[in-house]
Amino acid sequence: MKFWTFSLLFFCVLSLSSCIELIDDIKINNDGSGTLKYTVNLSSSKVKVTSILALDSVNGIRVPSISELNERIADFQKKLDTKPGISNVTIESDFENFVFKLRCDFTSVTALQTAIKEVVRDELRDKNVPELDAIWLNWDGQKLVRSIPEISVKKTTEFQQEDIVLLKQGTYTSITRFERPVDHYDNPSAQISANKMNVMIKTNPHALSQNTSLLDNIIYLTPLK
Amino acid sequence: MPCRKTHRFWTTSSILLHSSKIRGNFRNFASQSVEPYKVIRRPYFQLILALLFISSVIDLHGQTMTTSTPSVKSETLIPKDAVTVFSLNNISLLQKISLDDLVRYEFMEEVQQELFDGSTTGKTLKDSGIDFDQKLNVFYGKGENYEVSGFTLGIKDKQDLFVVFDDFEQEIDLYPGVEFYSSYFNHLIIKGDAALLVRVEPTMEKIDEVTDSIWYSRGNENPYYNEGYDDFDEDGELLEGEFEFEETEAPAEESEEELLEEEDVEGILEEENLLEKNYYELRDSVQVMLEMEYLSALCEELFIGQINLVNSDARFAEQLTHTSEGIFYLDNSRNLQKAEGMWYMQTMFPSLLEDMKELYTGNVILGDLILNQESVEFKMEVCYGEKLGSIYQKMNDSKFDKDVLKYIHKDNTAFFSYNVNLREAYEQAYKVIMPILSSEKNSRMSANVLTIELLNEFINKDALFGTYKGSMFGTFNGIQKIKTTKIEYSYDEETYEYSEREVEAEEDMPIFTVGFSTERADIPEKVLNHLSRLTSRFKNMGTYWVCEKAILDAADLYMINANGLFIFTNDADLAMRHANGYGKEALAKKSAKRAKKSGFMYAHIDWARAIERFPRDFFSDRENEIIDAMRGKTGTMELTSSKTSKEKTNLSLVYNYQGVYDNSGKYLLDLLNSIYVISK
Repeated sequence: MKFWTFSLLFFCVLSLSSCIELIDDIKINNDGSGTLKYTVNLSSSKVKVTSILALDSVNGIRVPSISELNERIADFQKKLDTKPGISNVTIESDFENFVFKLRCDFTSVTALQTAIKEVVRDELRDKNVPELDAIWLNWDGQKLVRSIPEISVKKTTEFQQEDIVLLKQGTYTSITRFERPVDHYDNPSAQISANKMNVMIKTNPHALSQNTSLLDNIIYLTPLK
Repeated sequence: MPCRKTHRFWTTSSILLHSSKIRGNFRNFASQSVEPYKVIRRPYFQLILALLFISSVIDLHGQTMTTSTPSVKSETLIPKDAVTVFSLNNISLLQKISLDDLVRYEFMEEVQQELFDGSTTGKTLKDSGIDFDQKLNVFYGKGENYEVSGFTLGIKDKQDLFVVFDDFEQEIDLYPGVEFYSSYFNHLIIKGDAALLVRVEPTMEKIDEVTDSIWYSRGNENPYYNEGYDDFDEDGELLEGEFEFEETEAPAEESEEELLEEEDVEGILEEENLLEKNYYELRDSVQVMLEMEYLSALCEELFIGQINLVNSDARFAEQLTHTSEGIFYLDNSRNLQKAEGMWYMQTMFPSLLEDMKELYTGNVILGDLILNQESVEFKMEVCYGEKLGSIYQKMNDSKFDKDVLKYIHKDNTAFFSYNVNLREAYEQAYKVIMPILSSEKNSRMSANVLTIELLNEFINKDALFGTYKGSMFGTFNGIQKIKTTKIEYSYDEETYEYSEREVEAEEDMPIFTVGFSTERADIPEKVLNHLSRLTSRFKNMGTYWVCEKAILDAADLYMINANGLFIFTNDADLAMRHANGYGKEALAKKSAKRAKKSGFMYAHIDWARAIERFPRDFFSDRENEIIDAMRGKTGTMELTSSKTSKEKTNLSLVYNYQGVYDNSGKYLLDLLNSIYVISK
């Protein structure tokens, strides 16, 4: 099954689930390397997700079995792990609570972006997706510029209105961590942790689909000592 | 396989050569009307849908309609091969609602657009030329070699009718007083004041059989053969290394002239005889030929032999005399004979098939649709032959299990009860069917008979039928919140590090109960005890058992083994607090009496309550709007059955609605229109 079929099914599941929790957590070291953690938590809708997985298809899209899903996840993990600058890729799949966690280390944000683009391109039939060329992470040693990958926003706009409405009930948490204190940041919705080294923005998937700049932020760090 | 080929060749020849003068004419008629290469099938059967809407239609007030008896009634054009017929009694329907009222409904705009193909603006059903004094009959039948479907109707004004059937062209008239018209796939045949719109389609098996016969008799090879077959081994496995294509850059587009060199064209012409049809062209021709052959036979039967379903089946003729708004006819015995897979029995056990046919003789379902003042009723008479009837009679001769009523809550949304005596049915079936099977002189059948006889001797039938007597019940109590767990993340304010923990949560789930009567409570108990030793998920809670997270890995399933019933439910309240029944909260006496009085089956659905209990979260905004539109326009549905005799069982499905309406016809149209308006 191809990437978009999975994506579509995933969003079908999201739209049919009353609640989804997404956490993206990225740690940037002083040398530009770091760790990405991405968590999808569907546990508050597990009865619905289980009932969907018991079906043959949803909205005309075939529902894969858990073993098929596991195969695809393992395939994704393998592909990502072979990309230059990416290491220690792990994906934890909890099919009892429907919590999925991706974790990987990267040598630079450029390596991370390139790896993700290549894996996604590899899964796509249409290799020519200009949105994938966009840069959504930029690190110069002093500040980090973050935004949302344009392609994910583009897919969101294709959802039917009734599906988007259901996304309102979910949460999206974006955390950016550093090795030294943050000096200031641009996004007024962001919060800084007590130790001054972490920035968090909380929103919901629906709000994000309506205003894609909600998570845009430029975070300035204190100078290296 | 020369013998098979010869046989097929004879079959084909007989079909192709057996042509009377009439059939010759028919070729013109059918060949002009059937163009197999055109895949556009104009949905004339939309008209059926449109006309079915009239099932609650039409008052003659203010309309001029003929009152003279038509010379030919629409029902006399129903072919004998029709197995299923739904006939609308327009004369009775005419009393329900005026045509003027009908055409004002929003959904009728679309129906009329479909009818008039968008080409005649301002036209309504009233202008369709259809005679609403005659019955409208929709039919379908499947024979051994072909399927026939269509409908028959009365004609008031032929000119107006052809505004609807505007792409039909007149063909040569083959029988006195009968006019033929045709479009791509359908044939409109008019006799007197009645018309038959019919489609005859040969079965794929027949088309393949005849095509193969001609194809091989011409000395051709397997049409599905291609060079690729060389790349498979004897077991049909793909040989390694074959069919692997290297990805190369797509060549630049070349002009057609460059691609097809002159010598290539000559080569093709040398290799293939372009005047001879290939397999698929031949298949299409065979399809056309078979269609006209079967259509010809059908017409000869109808117009020369004067044979139709009305004079072939007295039960159908009798059903047509009913004054109800609609009647239904389904000949199950013919369905059985022509069911797929019967060819195996025909080949392997021919005498057994004959016995089975005899067993199913008279198996007919007859129905009446009645539109009452405040209800819509569908009455069914399920008829069968004596032998089969004797089994049904024994099976349904079962006393209602009163204990069931204790477990149906008075505020239930829907429930059913089903009372059968499996032991008696088994004994009678053994008595009736075993002699039939035993008489079959076939080694395989003898082995099967011996197995059945030995099982009959060795199995403890008292224990088997004591555990599961056959009677059961079920209830649906809407949607309730059930306890589940979810993963929650909490964040440390110092570092925003997060940790996860499992917390209690609630989710919606439909609440159901299913139970069956048992005389041997000890046997399910033995099974449960054993299961509880195998897994900790099964627990004995004293008055009930629980299997944790049995449903969708989230909800518990409860089992109650009491009062001669074994019950499965996900209703925690029933298991924990009402394991011995609901007591005063059980089904009201009046409702219980109705269930008890019914024959082997009873069902009741409260649609109004069901709609109220639909969880809004389960549906999209649009679906919720439709549900809202249905609120206040719904009622209750009740299925009852009579006592089963050797000849028949009667079933009745009554839909009682709420609200103030002139009659059920208007009510139905109003409901349909609400749904249409919201969903468009």
